[in-house]
Amino acid sequence: MRRLVALLGLVWSLANLVVAYFFVTGAFVAKTAAKEGVLAQVSLLLGGVLIAGFAILLARECLRMLTSASETA
Amino acid sequence: MRIVAWFLVAVGLVLAGIGVASALGQAGSGAQPWGNELSDNFVFIKALPFVLGFGVAVGLLMANTYGAKVRSDGAVRRWSPGTVFGHWVLTLGFVLALPTGMWQYLGGILDVNLPIPLYLFYRVHYIGAAIVLFAVVAFVSYLWMTGDRSLLIGRGEWGRHLLGLAYELPPSLRGRYAKLLRIDLGQPRPPMGKFTFYEKVVELPSWSILLALITVTGLIKAGRYLIPVPGFVLWLASTLHVAAMVAIVIKLLDHLRYTFPRWSLMSAITTTWMEEPTAADRHGASERSGSSAAGIAGGGDT
Repeated sequence: MRRLVALLGLVWSLANLVVAYFFVTGAFVAKTAAKEGVLAQVSLLLGGVLIAGFAILLARECLRMLTSASETA
Repeated sequence: MRIVAWFLVAVGLVLAGIGVASALGQAGSGAQPWGNELSDNFVFIKALPFVLGFGVAVGLLMANTYGAKVRSDGAVRRWSPGTVFGHWVLTLGFVLALPTGMWQYLGGILDVNLPIPLYLFYRVHYIGAAIVLFAVVAFVSYLWMTGDRSLLIGRGEWGRHLLGLAYELPPSLRGRYAKLLRIDLGQPRPPMGKFTFYEKVVELPSWSILLALITVTGLIKAGRYLIPVPGFVLWLASTLHVAAMVAIVIKLLDHLRYTFPRWSLMSAITTTWMEEPTAADRHGASERSGSSAAGIAGGGDT
């Protein structure tokens, strides 16, 4: 069960890393600057960085769970 | 009391069914000049009072499952079955509402259209939002009925909780956190109750604020075709709704990061029971963060 939860957590982390990538790249697109303004660009950048950071933290925990599960198996 | 609660749930379910069916019937009659998105918006907002009423009734039923219990093997019931049910309903709502809301936002930013029509994303988003609102109202009703405040920090208790949280943080963060909040780490580590300090200081307040923000702003956005909403208020609600969505995405990652390695917490939110943490739990969570994460000092469940 722990292994399944860890795998699902990894999938969720990866999906969030993709979202973070779109946030960060979206912050530097000229269209965003023209349509949404600087505040939206800063928000996208900050949001993207935070999502990526927490997704990496979750992925790290999931990898730890996977390795400890295989050690006990 | 339980029979009355079941009766109210049955009545609430029937009324919710009638309410949703009549809203769907009106939208699907062909008599209204609404597009798909607007039609779904009206179904959502008109069905909402029935869904919320049903949530209140379910909260009453959930309250019937409240009460402290200890198993013969020493395991303590950490969450009532009602709380566990509400938690998973809320999870289902987020699973539906978060990705679809994120796509509505990102699709606009990236200027990308998928082969799937956008109104279908909105439709799933509305279903998810209705489930979230149902769960929120059920929890409010449950807390009202049980009077349970075990996750709240009482007056004059903040100092002890902030100190306790310091000891649950990784050592690399502890010093900076203590300096920022002027916490004297020379004081002894305070004893933890049924819940970890992180759950009481960080988890409950942040989830409560974010849920309140996303539901209020979402209701303003969804209700704008029924009740006139000033432009500035609508802009503010839309901005805060997106901000709350992003914050929930981050908070959810943090929530999973915190609970996954503390397997006893994962067991408790599935089975309601808190058993002694295993050696792997202790190794995986406590040694890294300095928290026992067991929190099974007894008392009522939540």
